[in-house]
Amino acid sequence: MPSEQLLGNDAIVRGAQEAGVAFVAGYPGTPSSEITDGFARISKAQGKGEGAIAFEYAVNEKIALELAFAAAIAGARSLCAMKHLGLMVAGDPLSTIPYVGVEAGMVIVSAGDPSCYTSPNEADQRHLGPMLHIPVLDPSTPAEAHAMTRAAFDLSEVSRLPVLLRTTTRVAHSRAEVTLGPLAKITVRGFVRDPARYVPVPANARRMRVELKDRVEKARDWIARSGFVRLEGVADDVVLATGAPAATTHDVLRVIGAEGRIPVWRVGAVHPLPERELVEALRKVKRVLVVEELSPFLEDRILALAHRHKLGVEVLGKHTNHFPEEFEYEPHIIQRALHEAFGVGSAPRKRPVMPVISSRAPSLCPGCPHRAAFSAARSAFDEDQLFFNDIGCYTLGYAPPLRTADALLCMGAGFTLAAGVARVTGKRTVGTMGDSTFFHAGMPALLDAIKEDANVVAVVLDNQVTAMTGFQESPTHGGKIEDVARALGAKHVETVDPYDQAATIATFRRARAATGTSVVVVRHPCPVNEARDGTKVRLPAYVADTDACRVCGREGLGLRCEVPVTEGYERNLARVASQRKEREPAPEVAPCASVCPLSLCIQGYAGHIVAGEYAEATAHVMARTVLPESVCRVCHRPCEEACVRGAMNGAEKAPIAINDLKRFVVEWAEREKPELLLPKKGAPSGLRAAVVGAGSSGLAVAVELVARGWDVTLLDASERAGGLLTHGIPEHRLPEEAVAKDLARVLDVVTFRPGMRLGRDTTLAKLTKEYDAVYLAIGAHAPRALDLPGAKPTAIMPALEYLRASRMSATVPTGNHVVVIGGGNAAIDAARTALRDGAERVTVACIERRAAMPALADEIVAAEHEGIFIRTAVRPSGWDARGVWVVPVVGDDENEDDEDLLEAELVIVAIGQNLDADAFARDAVTLDRTPEGLVAVDRNTCATSHPRVFAGGDAVPGERSVTAAMAWGLRAAWGMDGALRGREIADRRSPPAIPSTVVRGWSVDAPFAPRRIAPELDPKLRARSSSEVMQAFSEIDARAEAMRCLMCGKCGNCRACIEALGCPAIAMDATRAQVVVDPVWCIGCGVCADLCSNRAFHPVVATEAHAVKGVP
Amino acid sequence: VSRTQILLVGVGGQGVLTTAQILGAAAHAEGVPCVVGQLHGMSQRGGSVQCTVILGEGAESSMLCGREADLVIAFEPIEALRALPQMGPATHVVTSRTSMIPFEIVYKNERPPDVDAMVAQLREVAGDVRAIDTRGLVGAVGETRTLNVLMLGAAVGAWPAIGADKSGRPALLPLGEGALLEAVRVRCGAKYFELNKKAFELGKTAGSGTGTGTGTGTGEKAVEAR
Repeated sequence: MPSEQLLGNDAIVRGAQEAGVAFVAGYPGTPSSEITDGFARISKAQGKGEGAIAFEYAVNEKIALELAFAAAIAGARSLCAMKHLGLMVAGDPLSTIPYVGVEAGMVIVSAGDPSCYTSPNEADQRHLGPMLHIPVLDPSTPAEAHAMTRAAFDLSEVSRLPVLLRTTTRVAHSRAEVTLGPLAKITVRGFVRDPARYVPVPANARRMRVELKDRVEKARDWIARSGFVRLEGVADDVVLATGAPAATTHDVLRVIGAEGRIPVWRVGAVHPLPERELVEALRKVKRVLVVEELSPFLEDRILALAHRHKLGVEVLGKHTNHFPEEFEYEPHIIQRALHEAFGVGSAPRKRPVMPVISSRAPSLCPGCPHRAAFSAARSAFDEDQLFFNDIGCYTLGYAPPLRTADALLCMGAGFTLAAGVARVTGKRTVGTMGDSTFFHAGMPALLDAIKEDANVVAVVLDNQVTAMTGFQESPTHGGKIEDVARALGAKHVETVDPYDQAATIATFRRARAATGTSVVVVRHPCPVNEARDGTKVRLPAYVADTDACRVCGREGLGLRCEVPVTEGYERNLARVASQRKEREPAPEVAPCASVCPLSLCIQGYAGHIVAGEYAEATAHVMARTVLPESVCRVCHRPCEEACVRGAMNGAEKAPIAINDLKRFVVEWAEREKPELLLPKKGAPSGLRAAVVGAGSSGLAVAVELVARGWDVTLLDASERAGGLLTHGIPEHRLPEEAVAKDLARVLDVVTFRPGMRLGRDTTLAKLTKEYDAVYLAIGAHAPRALDLPGAKPTAIMPALEYLRASRMSATVPTGNHVVVIGGGNAAIDAARTALRDGAERVTVACIERRAAMPALADEIVAAEHEGIFIRTAVRPSGWDARGVWVVPVVGDDENEDDEDLLEAELVIVAIGQNLDADAFARDAVTLDRTPEGLVAVDRNTCATSHPRVFAGGDAVPGERSVTAAMAWGLRAAWGMDGALRGREIADRRSPPAIPSTVVRGWSVDAPFAPRRIAPELDPKLRARSSSEVMQAFSEIDARAEAMRCLMCGKCGNCRACIEALGCPAIAMDATRAQVVVDPVWCIGCGVCADLCSNRAFHPVVATEAHAVKGVP
Repeated sequence: VSRTQILLVGVGGQGVLTTAQILGAAAHAEGVPCVVGQLHGMSQRGGSVQCTVILGEGAESSMLCGREADLVIAFEPIEALRALPQMGPATHVVTSRTSMIPFEIVYKNERPPDVDAMVAQLREVAGDVRAIDTRGLVGAVGETRTLNVLMLGAAVGAWPAIGADKSGRPALLPLGEGALLEAVRVRCGAKYFELNKKAFELGKTAGSGTGTGTGTGTGEKAVEAR
């Protein structure tokens, strides 16, 4: 007869054909899949009709087994094939089929997997034989598999039992020479009605049970004569081997030159054993080494036989520690056992130790729609979301970075695990499985979830093929999963293409927000399968643009990123980038960051808040923030004015609540990691600085100089540090204890000398002698006077003086009616304070129109809510004993006729302050001044006309705000370091850049998200209380608000394409600075381009397909 | 006992399985008894793949029995290194120098292993190591998927296919070139045969060490032999 080289699985197909198999069903599962694939090919070639093999990929193994049984009782030889796990799915019918018995031969091929090459367990199915009264054949080579399959049909018919042909990966996937026999003709005898035989009601079942014994004995006799148990050769020492290790033992003995000296008894049929023949053979030997993988199945039976028959043979194997009970036996294991048991050959050579090298685990293919789906899911759900996965290609979602398998069990359990965990934890969970798995065992699981209204998102990853096991057809072509889900009662069912990341993320977000059982069908055909038939035209590969990839626009401003990105951060970047619809290229620097006086990376902390990574968010805030508690309350928030979301059209025209996010982070750090808020101390430089003025600017320069290794002495005219923070901002905006925390941290690292007023207690001449450098931050405290004609009212007071007195609990003038002149923050602060100090009616009168008032808009609104009247566009025109006269101003026109008296017992004047002239009056060191009398400085370095004197804050020209004052301080420290230690050392820490005065917006669209409003005290209650009005965001609100951030700026550290998407076609370049795309592996799916926030990926050649998708 | 143990290693998608089948088919055609082990599992998805080809009378198992591999054909140097436990002084290794960086290294942003260092590690264990600069050669063929046939050619070029060497050891590849190429034609399709034949020839020249500079394009020698 001819011979052919066949794979073990193909040998089984051939054997069955030679036995005239008429019906085959199975479910693919490695390492059995080539069996069903083989019959699928044959069936396709033969077509339907007389003499053709009937074949089907069954929906699951239970159905395959039942169909094969049905064929067998209808007189057709049948075979079903599956992996060992699948046979357990079919456990119910399997346990009854032997009772009922078959008419024509029925062979069950079940492929085991020692070493768990492709399986979650390596269960030893041989035990099913004695457990269920099923004969078990265990081939050792493809040739034996071929012969056994052919003969198994006879065994089945002789005993009327189904026969289990148990293979292992080694046999199934070895290719060897097989001698072919003739193909047999197919005959089908037909079903003969005999209910007593085929209906196992209890009365019949009991009869069948008794008959079973006789049938098992028939099988035993057949096996004894089959030639599959060959007890050949007699010696003192013999090996008894079964399955794949029998072939390995044979080869090892040949290679070590011991062939023939140690007979190898080949036991290819392991149940029922030909006991009589075995006992006779064992009588003649002294020692038998049992070689079998996994459990001591045969070894235990040989031991029992030896005991029952009082044989003297010594049984060696697992119980004698010659062999392990787990994993496939490699030849060196068998070689060692032979050597140790019988002294033959030598111990296996010492094998070279494998160097430590990176593992190369299988991964989802480039362009895999499952990866796109998982990446979107991770972006759409929170970082702590639980995912339950299932059996299929998508199991690989377990690996980093996708990590979408928190638990996994078996086919169909993705939904049940999710539902069960949701039920006991109360958390909404996600279960995922593929289309084939859904039909296999997922439908009942989904029905159960729907029935119980389980709080789960059930995701079906429909790639329209059973790809994992070799691209077998999936029942998905026959029925829409959505229709099934709806028919099962699902109310929330959505479908999405994972290549559309924005839609997929949005769909997952909706499913996340829903309650009960949501079904999301994520559908995109497997591109590998599409490429297999050659119909699909390959899309162009993508390239990474080196000008955009990992390039931070802020680097151009001399800023370095000190906070590493995290996967959670990158997932947020990916989410936002996917959902942004850009009408023009993004600005290099996010508008918010470009105007921030402290040059904070605002999207940096927003992104980490979304990811729940508050320590990283704190690091971003603290990169250049000195007084965090104060800044997060009183910053004038130019960032929010520049925010792109604030400039977008429609209902969402509201900027991100950036300062509230900052406050959330600072309060988190106070609670959880206060050390993150502490000033850093640099290595001592030996340099000493005097800082005159302990306000925002002086405190900032002090902290920054300490970080640069300077020794700092801080002087202030007042007894208490803090400047305006302590004396000038009312408690309802900035509580005492918040300032105290900020001050304590700073004063801990400097020498503080209170009560030292420049010009009175010390001079620049003195300080420049004692210190290496001096920073002048004395502020502007001389109030501008309001020079008006007329008799003055009872009390007139400058705003700062008023606020200071009120804050220090000194006696302040009060009145039923109070008028505040001015439109800035000091005016609003004074007005609100007056209300709290007991005034009945408070009016703010300012020359600006409402929109032009310098005060923070939120503060103006809050004042109005408290009952304060804002009189805009009026100029004070004269004093009066009863108050102050004002005239309306419209543009440049004033109408004297409409002059109006604002009645007041107290008028507070808030129209600005000048530098205190006394400070420099008698100083030997003189500094250049501006025409306005302020100290003239270099804007970058804060250098004055004296080489070692620097100045900033309100004492120099520029914007007057707490945050701007701090920025002056930080820049001055850099300037001082540069002047005294050189630029190179100074540049080790980057100062904030000069904020941009022109905000470049960005025309972009994004899904609507309402601004979260931080809680505030009820205006009725708060108007008479000094309690802080604004409260901090809750964690939920902070994360929701941070999610609104569009992450406009380019990121220099992002590797989202690797660390969020995990596409294996993307790697780092040789310098590991930027990413590169492997053009051979890239299939052009474009998902990386969707989620790249820097927009660095472009197709090599633009095609229509991409034009449709909107990829540039 | 005449038994040649060949180990083929590479990355899923590089054609390890196909090459094992080509060797098996050539052996079948030449009447050389042969067992091929093609454990693949999830290998299609970019994982490590190892296949064995056992040639010789009476072999039943597809595993490397009793001693190290006689011949290792490695389509990728990291995978060659992974096969180090299967190597010994009698092992002949022909490996591609073109490494494919495992995702784990990219993900952790670690430095990829140095190819020269890897080849040196192989030489510490294996008796004869040929490292082929395949990048340029594959470029000269114009089709990356011919890498496996190119490496097969390199093995043939390095240790000529037929006949025993001076020590009397059986030939590493007791298979005729004609049979190998015919198996390539059948397995890979007539459409790609000319490309594959070119790859085989380029590989053979490179493997023999005579084809220095053959289209390598990198300035490196096409082959370095010990």
